[in-house]
Amino acid sequence: MNVMANGPILETQDVSFAYGRALVLRSISFAIQPGEFVALMGPNGSGKTTLLKTLLGILRPLKGEVLIDGRPVDSYAPKQRARLIGYATQEPAFNFPLTVAELVSLGRYPHGMRLKPALQDEAAVEEALRLTESTSLGDRKFTTLSGGERQKVLIARVLAQTTHLLLMDEPTSHLDLYFQLQVLETLKRICREKMASIVAVLHDLNLVSLFADKALLLKEGEPVAFGKVAEVVNEQSIKAIFGVDVTVKSETGTNHYFFQRRTLP
Amino acid sequence: MRGFQVKHGWFVLFGLLAASVCLALSTGPVKLSLFAMSVTERAILFNLRLPRLLSSFFVGGGLALAGAIFQGLFRNPLADSYVLGISSGASLGAACAIVLGFTSPLAVFTGVTFFAFLGSLLALALVFYFGSRYGSISPFRLLLAGLGVGLFLSALVAILMVMAEEELKALIFFFLGGFSSSGWETALATLTLIPIGAWIAYLYAPELNVLLLGNDAAQSSGVNTVVVRALYAVTAAFLTSVSVSVAGLIGFVGLIVPHMVRMIIGADHRSLFPFTFFAGGTFLILCDTIAKVVVAPSELPVGVVTSLCGVPFFLYLLKREKGDYGL
Repeated sequence: MNVMANGPILETQDVSFAYGRALVLRSISFAIQPGEFVALMGPNGSGKTTLLKTLLGILRPLKGEVLIDGRPVDSYAPKQRARLIGYATQEPAFNFPLTVAELVSLGRYPHGMRLKPALQDEAAVEEALRLTESTSLGDRKFTTLSGGERQKVLIARVLAQTTHLLLMDEPTSHLDLYFQLQVLETLKRICREKMASIVAVLHDLNLVSLFADKALLLKEGEPVAFGKVAEVVNEQSIKAIFGVDVTVKSETGTNHYFFQRRTLP
Repeated sequence: MRGFQVKHGWFVLFGLLAASVCLALSTGPVKLSLFAMSVTERAILFNLRLPRLLSSFFVGGGLALAGAIFQGLFRNPLADSYVLGISSGASLGAACAIVLGFTSPLAVFTGVTFFAFLGSLLALALVFYFGSRYGSISPFRLLLAGLGVGLFLSALVAILMVMAEEELKALIFFFLGGFSSSGWETALATLTLIPIGAWIAYLYAPELNVLLLGNDAAQSSGVNTVVVRALYAVTAAFLTSVSVSVAGLIGFVGLIVPHMVRMIIGADHRSLFPFTFFAGGTFLILCDTIAKVVVAPSELPVGVVTSLCGVPFFLYLLKREKGDYGL
């Protein structure tokens, strides 16, 4: 899959979306270059998951257009699109005893894997398990894993899809500190080495500041800011979208965020 | 590792199938001499026991496969055509055909099978409608909707039975179920129709595997979830209605067999479906043989035997899996 050397991998032009009459996304425009890691931030219910689904083409925008690699997202055949964009959902996991290796190999479906895996399918699955440090889990049944292990395996499934654009809905939920850092480090490495682009819903300001290049801030479906993390994630914007007072200290170009306890009204 | 288990599973299963076939063909009210068969003995073997064996095999396979499909499709380990009320829909259709004398517009179906299929589609539509909310299906809601729809349609069947005096005998005979009246006609119907459904189920197993991840993840992987879901729902309803129209209501084959198979060879539908099909067929051959011999010279309805094995397993699952299955 060749990605155009110049031009954004993902671009939205004035995208709005509504469930019935309720407007959930309001005229969102931004672009992501190859190799960029973008944090999608905002309060619960601010439209982050809806935006991801709209970028995927699962939801059709009311207005505006989503362009993937310069072409409208709905101009791709579903499997072709799935070879360009991977999506890690936030859905609760299922209860069927697939093994970890079987589950991760589901990521090879858009590449035409049906009955028997081809060599490149096996290689991609192995690589994905290695990147998430889950190789030793390969023969375990998914239903016997802990919450954090499940999260890593679900991320491995998306990595096995080997796409140039990854949309991740809260990839660090259920993970302990070590694996939060490890998963984000892995994603960062994919950006750097494979020029993949990532849009990830993240809630931890310090993790955003450590790993993301840019941030898109949403409030009630409206884009509050889009730009470099150090510039847009600041006292004013945090206060504006979360209503929380935060102190920012900058150290060698990276922001660190400190909170105070709030007195309840 | 998994490949090893699957291979051994198949080996054991075919051993069991062969044993069940021998047992089923050799047991019955008349004792057959293996060598130097008389004309009557040959007629018993080829015109009674063999078609009965084939019918029970394909019906068992069809019911088990329908259960495996419903469980995977709704990501709900407690689903099957019985619990979801699809069997009740099929029996309502079949009862209508018997009482009102409907005939089929298509030559491959009997009137009973055709209207059983229509009835199961009606039940399916109702369960989908009441079991979903804002386009998504919760396991809890789905089971309740299935139970409700099933009870309601069964009540309609009961009304039909009261109204139909002349056909009452035929209806009771039908609903007791079983294979005691299976001849070549039913054997041929099952062995042509059920494999069609089984083949469709097998063809789209990779898509159903991806659907286990949930609707959004499956769509993002390039699966046309609407088409695949509809195809599987109709296929499972088809398998159910063919089985019901041939053998009446036989509970729990659809629930028990897929779970036992998952414990042995795992949840990958590419191997689960064929294995479940053969395991269900073998299970029903065995149950039918038990039904034939335990109270000889009369027979138990085969549904009684399957339920005697199935209900305790169902209750055990319900108790054990409560937390995990999100009910």
